[in-house]
Amino acid sequence: MQEKQLEPEQAGYFSVPGAHLYTVTHVVKNPVARALLIGPFASERQNTYMPWVRWARYLAARRIEVLRYDYRGIGESTGNFEETSYANWSEDVPLLAEWLKNQSPDVPLVLHGLELGALLAGRAFHAGIGDALLLWAPPANANVALRSMLKRRVSLEQLFKSAGERKSPADFMRQLEDDRPVEVDGYQLSGMHWRDSFQFHLPEELNDDKSATSFYKKPVRILRLDKEIDPGVREGDTSDTDFNRIRPDLFKICSNNLRWHHTFKFYVEFKPYFNWLFADNFEWIASALALAPEEQ
Amino acid sequence: MIEAIKTRELITLQSSGPLLRATCHWPQQSDWGLQEGRKENVIGVLFLNAMSLPRCATGDSAVYWAESFAACGYPAFRIDMAGLGDSDGDIPDDLLGVINSGEYAKPLPSVVKDLVKRFHLSGLVVVGHCAGTVSALFAAAASKDCKGLVLLDPFFHLPKMVRSKTRDDLAEWSSKSSFGGVARKVYNRLKVIRRHFHRNALPANANRSLLKEWGKIASGKMPILLFTAPGMDSPNTKRNEDDFDYIEHILKLAGPRNEVRVQSIAGTDHSFANRMGRAAVREHVERWLGTRFPLTRPESGMAKSKAATDHMITDKNHAQCL
Repeated sequence: MQEKQLEPEQAGYFSVPGAHLYTVTHVVKNPVARALLIGPFASERQNTYMPWVRWARYLAARRIEVLRYDYRGIGESTGNFEETSYANWSEDVPLLAEWLKNQSPDVPLVLHGLELGALLAGRAFHAGIGDALLLWAPPANANVALRSMLKRRVSLEQLFKSAGERKSPADFMRQLEDDRPVEVDGYQLSGMHWRDSFQFHLPEELNDDKSATSFYKKPVRILRLDKEIDPGVREGDTSDTDFNRIRPDLFKICSNNLRWHHTFKFYVEFKPYFNWLFADNFEWIASALALAPEEQ
Repeated sequence: MIEAIKTRELITLQSSGPLLRATCHWPQQSDWGLQEGRKENVIGVLFLNAMSLPRCATGDSAVYWAESFAACGYPAFRIDMAGLGDSDGDIPDDLLGVINSGEYAKPLPSVVKDLVKRFHLSGLVVVGHCAGTVSALFAAAASKDCKGLVLLDPFFHLPKMVRSKTRDDLAEWSSKSSFGGVARKVYNRLKVIRRHFHRNALPANANRSLLKEWGKIASGKMPILLFTAPGMDSPNTKRNEDDFDYIEHILKLAGPRNEVRVQSIAGTDHSFANRMGRAAVREHVERWLGTRFPLTRPESGMAKSKAATDHMITDKNHAQCL
C-alpha cells in the first residue's frame, strides 16, 4: 500500500493480533507532548464521539499530538465484540502507546481514558506506560460501567415499551449470570463480559490524584465527572471559577439530573461545559508536563 | 498505520466544503477499488449518517450492512458528513433544522458524483436512516448518479411547535382525571371528524419541501425500498387514531406505477440495530439489490466472499448472501 502525504488527521489501521484497530492520528509538527486517547466502551462510543473528536482537535491545536482509536470489535475496528475480553482490550494499549512514543521518544506521553477507557489507561499506567495520566469518569470496575449501560437500556425501554414487555436491570443481570447474552444498542454483552467485569478494576493506587501522584511519582489527575459536573454537588460553591460561570446554563439544560454521559451525548447543547472541560484539562496537562508557555 | 485492509479502505473526499472521511468496503480483495475496467454496471451503496451518529451507526449496524452488501458484489461506502464523525467542519446548532431544510444535503450530489467517477461505478444507491433519510431524499432529487434509495424509518414532518403551558396543563389533566379522559376522547373524535372533511390536508408541521422532492423522485420511478419499525420510537408508529398516515400519503404521491416497496420489520426498534433488525434489513436489501440492480460480472455474483467469511465473526447466522 502506497504511503500518501500526511494529512493533519490521519486515519489508518493498526495491526494487533487477530484484528485491525481503527486509529486517527491528529498529526502535529514538532509536538510538545503526545496523548493516547482511550475512549469509552461499546454503545458509549457512538454517544460520545463528537466531543471526543473535538477534544483531540483541541489538544492538537495546542501542539499535543493525539492518537485515538476504536477498541477491537467496536466501531471501525475489526474483530468480534462478543468474543473479545478485557484482557484483549488491555493488550492493545501498550502496543499503541509504544507506537506513539516511538514517533519521537523524547516527547512526553499522556495516557487519557474516559469511562472504561479510564480503567484501561490506569492499568497501562500502573504497568509503567506513559509520563502522565488523566482519567475522566473512571468506574471502580468494569462491572459498574456495564451496569450503567444496562440501566440506560432499561430507562429507554420505560419510554418505548409497554409495562408487560419491560425488563428490569436485575432481569438482564440474571440473564448474563446465566451466560445468556444481552443486547445493548446492537452490542451483544456476553456472560464472559459480565463475569470478567468484576475483576477488571482500577489499581488501588489510583483511588485519588494525590496518593497516585505520590506513589507513581508522575502527574495523575482523576476527574469523577458526575460529581464534578453535577451542579447540585457544588451548589454551595460560589467562587468565581470558569465552572461556576457556566453552572446556570447547565441548570437550565437539565436541572439536577446531570451525569457525564448526558453532557457527552449532547455536545451542541453543552458547548459551554466542554469549553470549560477542555481548557481546564489542557491547563492541567501543560502544568503537569511543565510545558513552557511558548510550547502551549 | 495502513489505509487499507483486506476489503476495507479509508478515503477522503473534498467537495466544495470541508474534508469528508469515509470507509469503503470492497467486494473481494483490497485492490478492488484501484482496478479499472472491471466494474461496468456495478452499482455502489452509500450510507449516510443517522442524525449525529458517526458512520458506524448504532451498534455498528452500518458496518455490518456495508460488509454484507460488499460481500455480495456491491461496493459500499460509509461517509461522515461535515462536522460528524471524523469529518472536518462543525455542525450547526440546529442540525435537525438544517437537515429538514435540505441545506445539509447540498454537498451530497457532488460526493455521489465523485465516488461514481473515482471508482467507475454506474451509480449509487443511497441509504439513509432517520434524519439521514431526509438528506438521502434531497440528494437523490439533485443527483442523476443516485439510482435508488433505501430509507430506514423516514419521517416527513418538522418538529412540533412548542405547546403552550395551558395546553400542557390540559393534557396532564386529561390524562389524570376521569372526566378529563372523556373530554380527551371527545376532542380526539372531533379531530377525526375534522380530518374526514379535510382528508387530504397535511398536518401543519409537514415537511412540504421534502414531500415535493419525494413526489418528484418516486413518481419518476426511482427504485425505493422503505423500512418501518414497529416500536413507539418509530416516527411512523401511530400513537393516536387521528395521527396522519405519512406512509399512505407518500404512496399516493408516488403515483400508480411507482417502484416503491414498503417493508415493516418486526422485533426491532427505530435503530434496526438489534440482531433481528439488522438481519432482516440485510436480507431485504440484498434481495432488492439483486432484483433491481443485478450484477453482470460472474465472479462477483452472489457467492460468499472472503469478506463475508471475515464478517461472520460478528454474526454466525450470516452464512451467505441470499
